[in-house]
This record gives sequence, C-alpha cells and structure tokens, in this order.
Amino acid sequence: MKQLTTVESMYSCVRCGACREACPTLSITGREADGPRGRVLMARNLIEGVIPVNDEIKEQLDRCLLCSACVDACPVDVAVPDIVMMAKEKISEVRPQEGVTGIVGKWVFRKLLPFPKRLQKLGHLLWIYQKSGLQMVVRKLRVLKLLSESLQQMERAMPEILPPSRRNPHPLFTPSDRKDLKGSSHSAPRAALFQGCIMDMMFRSTNENTIRFLAQSGFDVVTPGQQVCCGALHTHNGEKDTALELAKRNIEVFEQANVDYIVSNAGGCGAMLREYEELFRDDPEWLPRARQFCQKVKDVSEVAVQKGTIPQAAGQGERITYQPSCHLQYVMGVKDAPKKILRSVADAQYVELPEAGYCCGSAGIYNLLQEQMANDILDKKMGNVAKTRANVIVTANPGCLLQMKMGIERAGMQGSVEAVHIVDYIVEAMERNKQSQTAEDQEELQKQSV
Amino acid sequence: MDGRVILRLEQLFGKERVLTNQTDLMTYSYDASFATQLEPKEPEIVVIPQSTEEISACVKLANEYQVPLYPRGAGTAQTGGPVPVMGGIVMDLSRMNRILEIDHKNMQAIIEPGVVQANLNNALKEYGLFFPPDPGSAKMCTIGGMVANNSSGLRAVKYGNTRFYVLGLEVVLPTGDVIVTGGSKSKALKSVSGYDLAHLMVGSEGTLGIITKLRLKVLPLPSRRGIVLCSFSKLEQAGEAVNELFRSGILPSALEIMDQQCTKAANLMRPQLALPENEALLVIEADGSKEEVASQVKRITEVISKFTDYVKFSDEPEECQQLWQARQIVGAATGRLKPGGFRVYGGEDICVPLSRLPETLRKIHEIARSYNIVCAIYGHIGDGNLHTSPVINRRDKEEIENAKKMIEDIHRLAIEMEGTTTAEHGVGIVRAQYMEIEHGTALEVMKAIKRTLDPNNILNPGKMALPV
Ligand SMILES: Cc1cc2nc3c(=O)[nH]c(=O)nc-3n(C[C@H](O)[C@H](O)[C@H](O)COP(=O)(O)OP(=O)(O)OC[C@H]3O[C@@H](n4cnc5c(N)ncnc54)[C@H](O)[C@@H]3O)c2cc1C
Repeated sequence: MKQLTTVESMYSCVRCGACREACPTLSITGREADGPRGRVLMARNLIEGVIPVNDEIKEQLDRCLLCSACVDACPVDVAVPDIVMMAKEKISEVRPQEGVTGIVGKWVFRKLLPFPKRLQKLGHLLWIYQKSGLQMVVRKLRVLKLLSESLQQMERAMPEILPPSRRNPHPLFTPSDRKDLKGSSHSAPRAALFQGCIMDMMFRSTNENTIRFLAQSGFDVVTPGQQVCCGALHTHNGEKDTALELAKRNIEVFEQANVDYIVSNAGGCGAMLREYEELFRDDPEWLPRARQFCQKVKDVSEVAVQKGTIPQAAGQGERITYQPSCHLQYVMGVKDAPKKILRSVADAQYVELPEAGYCCGSAGIYNLLQEQMANDILDKKMGNVAKTRANVIVTANPGCLLQMKMGIERAGMQGSVEAVHIVDYIVEAMERNKQSQTAEDQEELQKQSV
Repeated sequence: MDGRVILRLEQLFGKERVLTNQTDLMTYSYDASFATQLEPKEPEIVVIPQSTEEISACVKLANEYQVPLYPRGAGTAQTGGPVPVMGGIVMDLSRMNRILEIDHKNMQAIIEPGVVQANLNNALKEYGLFFPPDPGSAKMCTIGGMVANNSSGLRAVKYGNTRFYVLGLEVVLPTGDVIVTGGSKSKALKSVSGYDLAHLMVGSEGTLGIITKLRLKVLPLPSRRGIVLCSFSKLEQAGEAVNELFRSGILPSALEIMDQQCTKAANLMRPQLALPENEALLVIEADGSKEEVASQVKRITEVISKFTDYVKFSDEPEECQQLWQARQIVGAATGRLKPGGFRVYGGEDICVPLSRLPETLRKIHEIARSYNIVCAIYGHIGDGNLHTSPVINRRDKEEIENAKKMIEDIHRLAIEMEGTTTAEHGVGIVRAQYMEIEHGTALEVMKAIKRTLDPNNILNPGKMALPV
C-alpha cells in the first residue's frame, strides 16, 4: 500500500523538479503546466477551491497521460496521477459529463465491461464487421473519413478478431511442460491466467499463447472462468463503485483457484490488480484479502524470469526492440524481465529503444481524447524506433500494441516493421526453436541409421 | 499589461509559444524554494523562445514597453531566482536544449542553455569525457541555470564549481544586444585577452544577461571510483579526520558528512543499510584509474582508522554503489523523520570555514531545538558547505512561522562563523537581505555594474539586493 494518502502526497511535493525529464508531455511542449509539478499545483489549487472549475483547468488536467513516469522519478513518491484524478473527480462532480460521451461512457463502464458474455457478443459483432466484407465496404466508401484521423488509424490497427467458434472458454487447467517434474512427487507452481476483458475479446490468441508460454516456462496454468474485468478503466474514469465490485469478485474467484501466482499479460490490468490493496485501504474486512491477492499478482515476463525458466526460442535474424508499458514499468516496477527474455532469443538481435521510458501516447483512450498531443508523442516515439533500425517492436500491453501499430502506419513503416505482444513473439520463436530441434534430431537419427 | 505587448510577442513567437492562460501563469510562479511555496508570484506572460534572435528581439521589446523579463531554466533553484517578483514576462529557456557540438579533439562542448546536465554527460560518455560540476539536481537542472547560479556539487572539492568549465558564452544583454565572451571566434582552452566578461556572467543569476549559447570545457572521465564509509561518535573527530586527510596529501573526489538525524532517516527509508546512528557519518570518494583508486582507498582508510573503528571501503563498482546509497538517498529520506514530513529548502546552503564546522553543526541543532523543529544536516564537509534540512508539516501554520525564523537564524550564524549564506545555490530573493552584510561597499560596485548593463532595469529585477 502507498505510504501516503493522495492528499498527504499532494502536500509533500517540494517542487524539486526531479520529474521534469521523465514526463512525456513536458518533453513535447516544454510548458510547465504540461509537467508534473505544474499539474500538482493546478490540481491542488482546484481542490482547495483557489481556482474555479472551468474549461481551462479541465483541458490542462486532461492532458496528463497518467503514465506514472513522474512517480517513478520522484524521490518522495508524490502520486501525481492520483492527485490529478482527484481533481478530475471534483470537476466531474461539479459538471457531470453531458451529452453522448457521458451516456455512452456510463453504458460502457457499467453495462458492458463488467460482463464477459456481453463483451464476447461485441467480439462477434466486430468479427462479423471484419469478415462480412462490411469492413471492406466501409473502407472503400471512405465512411471513415468522417471520423478523426486517429480513429481511422486505429480502425486499421485493430487486430483480427477470432471467429466465435474459436473463442470458447480457455481450458480450466493446463499442466506444466516441465519434463523433470513428470512422474516426480514435486508439483509445478500454479499460475492463474488473468485474461482481462477487452484483452480476451480482441487479443484472444495472445491469451492462448500466454497459457502455452507459462506451461513451457514450468507452471501449471489455471484459468478461472468466473473472473471479470480488472476495473482499471472504471477507476480512471471515476466509476469507483463498479471498480470495487469487480475487485471483490476477482479476489473471491482467485482465492478459490488456489494458486501461487496470478499472472497478467497486460501491464494496464496487472497494475490495477496490484492496486486492489490501495482500493480497500479503508475497508478492514477486505484489506487483508486484497493484500494477499496483490502479493500474488505478477506480469507474465516477471513470473517466468523470477519463478520459472525462460523457454528456449529462436528468431530468424531479425532486430527487435522493446517499448515498455508504463503501467508495467512504473506501477508494477517490472523493467528488466521482458528485456531479459528478449535477449535470450537465439538468432535475433535485441536493441535498446532510445527514450524508451516515455509513454507511447496510448494511455487508455488518451489517443482519442487528446489527438494532437498523442500524435506528437507517437511521432517522436517512431523517430526513436527508426533509430534502432528494428524490424520488430515488442510491447507488453494491448493498448501499447495498438498504438505502436498505429505509429507504424503513421510513419509509413508498414512492411518493414511490425509490432507484436511479447508473448506472441516468444511463443512463435519457441515453436520455431522446437521445430528446428526436431529437424536436427531427425537428421541426427538418419545419420546414425546410415 | 499593455495589450500591444502580447500582440507583438505573438507576432514574434507565434501564439503557441506565448502563454497567458491563468493556469499556465500559475505554474511559473515558483521554483524549488520554500519561499515561493509560501508566496508564489505569477508572471503576466510566459514566452518559450527557440533562438538567440527571438530572445534578442524579445528583450528589445521589453525595453520598449518597460516590462520586466525573467530568464528561467528548469526552475529548480532554491532561491526564487527565476520567479517574477515584479510581474512581467518569464522566458522559459528549457526548450533550447540542443547539444550543438562535442569537439572532443579540443576538449570542449558547445551547447544551448536548456541542455540538462545529465543529458550532456550522457552524450559525453561516448567520448570518454565528462562535464564535472554535479549538483544534486543534475538530472533536471539546465546548464544555463547552472552557469547563472555558478552551481556545484559533491565533487566540487576536487573539480571546483561551474565557473571553471566556462570557456565562453553567447549572451543577450539587457538591452537586447548580443555579445560573445571569451573570444568571439576562439576555440582556445585558455585566454586572458580582455576583461573576463564570461565570468562576470557566471553567478549573475540572470540579472546581467540571458545566456544563449555556451562553450564548456570538459575533462577525461575517470574510469573507476572507490568509496570509504566511516562513522564517528563525535563530530569533532570527523572534523579532525578530514583535516588529517588533507594534510596527508589526499584530495578525494567527494567528501560528504551526514549527521545523526540523516543516518536515522536513511535507516528509516532503507533499513537494510543498518548505518550506525552516531554523531557523524563520512562518505569519501576517490576516482581515477583502477590502480589509482585502489591505492587512494587504501591510504584514506589508513588515515581514517586513526580516528574510528567503523570503516568500510571498496573499489568494486557494485559494493561502491551499496556504500554510496546512504548519501544518495539522504535528501529524499529526511522527509521520513516525521510522518507526512515536508522537507524545507531554506537556510539550506551555508558555508563555513572547515575549522568551524563541528561548532556550526552543533549550533544549528541548538537553533532547531529552540524552535522545536526536526532537522537533519548533511553536506560537503570537504569545502564546509552544509545543507540543513528542516522537516515540518506543510499545513501547520505555526511550524511554518518557526521554520522561517530558524532559516533567518541559520543565515546569521553562517556570517558569524566567518562563512557565507550561500555556497552554491545562490541569492535570488531568499538571501538578498544579507548582501549588504556579506559585501559592504562591494555591493555598490555590483549595483553600478547592473545599472550600466541594464539601464532600464529590465532583467530579473528584485533579486540580489540590486536596485529596483
Ligand atoms: C533537489 C535539489 C538539489 C540541488 N542540489 C544542488 C547542488 O548540489 N548544488 C547546486 O549548486 N545547486 C543545487 N540545486 C539548486 C539548483 O538546481 C541549481 O541552482 C541549478 O543550477 C538551477 O538550474 P535551473 O535550470 O533549474 O535554473 P532556474 O532555477 O530556472 O534558474 C536559476 C537562475 O538562473 C537564471 N537563469 C536560468 N537560465 C538562464 C540563462 N540561460 N541565462 C541567464 N540566466 C538564467 C534564472 O533567472 C535564475 O536566477 C538543487 C536543487 C534541488 C531542487
């Protein structure tokens, strides 16, 4: 749990400026109000009532990505995103979101995300959209031109949705692949897959690959079917009650699963799961259960590096670079594990991405709400990607993945660079390695028999 | 503010780089000083220039309309230096942050003023070079700000302050004219040709000109460092040990002291450090080649062992990192001395003669006790520079008042000890009241220089006890 409450932390900022170089928006405009110190002061003045709620302050605070890079840089852990959120809550109390966005938003948060079945149905619709030819028609008719540039690019970057027939629930239990444990009395550590809501609909195969990867890395994998959305989008959009309900549900479900680790493959979800303890800060009944839950939460690369083995994998001579997820690196504190895994891939060259610490600009739905800033951030990011001359950008969170795909489009790098989720990349490389091993084995056998 | 000023500025910079929103102005009302936490001062306009030409035109415009103008780097000063105490225009130079040239053959770098110290050093590393002045704020402060404040850091004991590394400057004078000091076309590493105007600008805190380009001297980067960490039951022993080190012909690259409250704070933050909570902890660094470091560490340890039994040392990079941790975290750790503690930057930079250090430390603690304020002291014992760190509750009005009085007392104490109120952070608004006692008639000469270069008193007025 965090040492200080949000209010305490708001009053501990001494304005030393240690956050300046970490902040992606400040790096774009150089305006102090686009940096963490400025935001803390503006938020504080708003909360204290020194300045009124108006469009100007709302716009300023909306420009924060909430990426937490500043918290990581702060010597006294001032929780800037929490402080900004607190101010935003005050704004929405005074002026509840009106119009279509408000209504649609509420519907999405309360009626869609919490219900896996409804999400699956949405998945069906998207699949129909992609497969029925409607997508082609829409693209041909340039209907999308009516939408903003970012939305168009996003539509193009969207992953291919698996058909309903291939989206059955994940197997409840997948045994570990560890050969040395077969027949021995030792059992493999048990890891539960946290499948996520949007993740499981849009990036279904990544979840399947995560199960494969974990099994290969030495874990018995459990995927409880009753789990629900982590609640991150709710917490970030002032829907705390729904977030609490979702959290309680997940805590119960994973307690019953009786596992050593709860593994997420999306930095955004993992970070939220780790924050459950904070969520129940003032709830003595749930706090101990939340704490226990949080201690088990790990990112997929983290758990493999720390508690499993890194599966052998082989590339095909490509250059790879890694764009970290902010939630993963700053909130979960997982910085090196993904790199360690990538460096271990044979026949692939890992290159550091310059200024990798900066958010890619995806940040939930930031890229839709703050189009200009998000694009500036993304263009800068792609400039750095170009410097690496990598063919593969590896990411660790679906939002980042979509954003990097958009970036590739924007920079005209299609065909020469691709963006992938780390698990998908590794599983493919793992399988390639297995095939070449079997081929080698057979060659060996043939030689012997000759 | 005359509406035409905004209009003209927008013509000059474009609308995007002229800020007039209430919220934007609010965020330029402070630096890292305690004084501006309590009394922020907002500008009327903020401009974000990108070239010397823009800056020169802007300064001319400020003269035309008689509007004060305040240069600002990263705003990490602890003095109120970049804060617009008399209203007017703040000029944010942090965007002019290009490294223009690393001329490694001539051991110099040419940069824009907004380059952050750590970023320059990252770029220099590739060439096996470094820019030595290393303030605690190296990761965020601009080098323009460092020159304006003549900053220094831990390694000043061996490498000196920023001044030593300034070869030449391009400066926009308070009238808008542009000069190049240190030889307009020179790339020489030494020059005594003419008045030393570059060093008139060093430490002028933005009152005599806006630095727009810098030619800096750089040094070969030492490949290794070694650390000796030692603890003393009495402050006086630490003082004697330092004295003995110097007399034995040893010049460490850093020589740091932490008092009992500091070690307590560091232990609170990282219990695994398990530092002995004695009156003084010294952290001593040696740098150079592998052999040089090994032999220096050995000699330092020998000298120190005459004064205390608690000595740990290493010249292995990882262990050094461990030993160095205490010093590295102390600034942030002091806040832990009190639940929800707020570390006050005030009275934070005094410097006294080495011989009077132990006495000064004791007296500062007496002052703190008299106001009932939790207080930790650390600093560069190698040059007598003490960073006092009072810790208060930011929302306790009485404690704030007491802290203010305590700061005043500490400054007076420094002068009484034949020291100075500021060794590296600067004067700004927070130490202007001591200028006369510290400088006597020399202050009159400073005022005359200011009047000559800045007849309309445009640049950074209201600072350093200069005329307003
Ligand atoms: C946590 C912390 C630790 C610190 N540690 C140290 C330390 O160890 N040693 C030390 O010396 N200082 C230290 N400082 C103080 C401060 O960081 C330095 O003085 C720093 O050099 C200021 O740089 P800046 O870019 O933030 O300048 P600012 O704070 O923006 O400005 C400082 C002064 O310089 C002027 N100025 C800025 N840029 C220009 C320019 N281009 N031309 C003309 N004038 C200009 C301003 O008008 C102002 O008077 C510390 C501060 C903090 C918050």
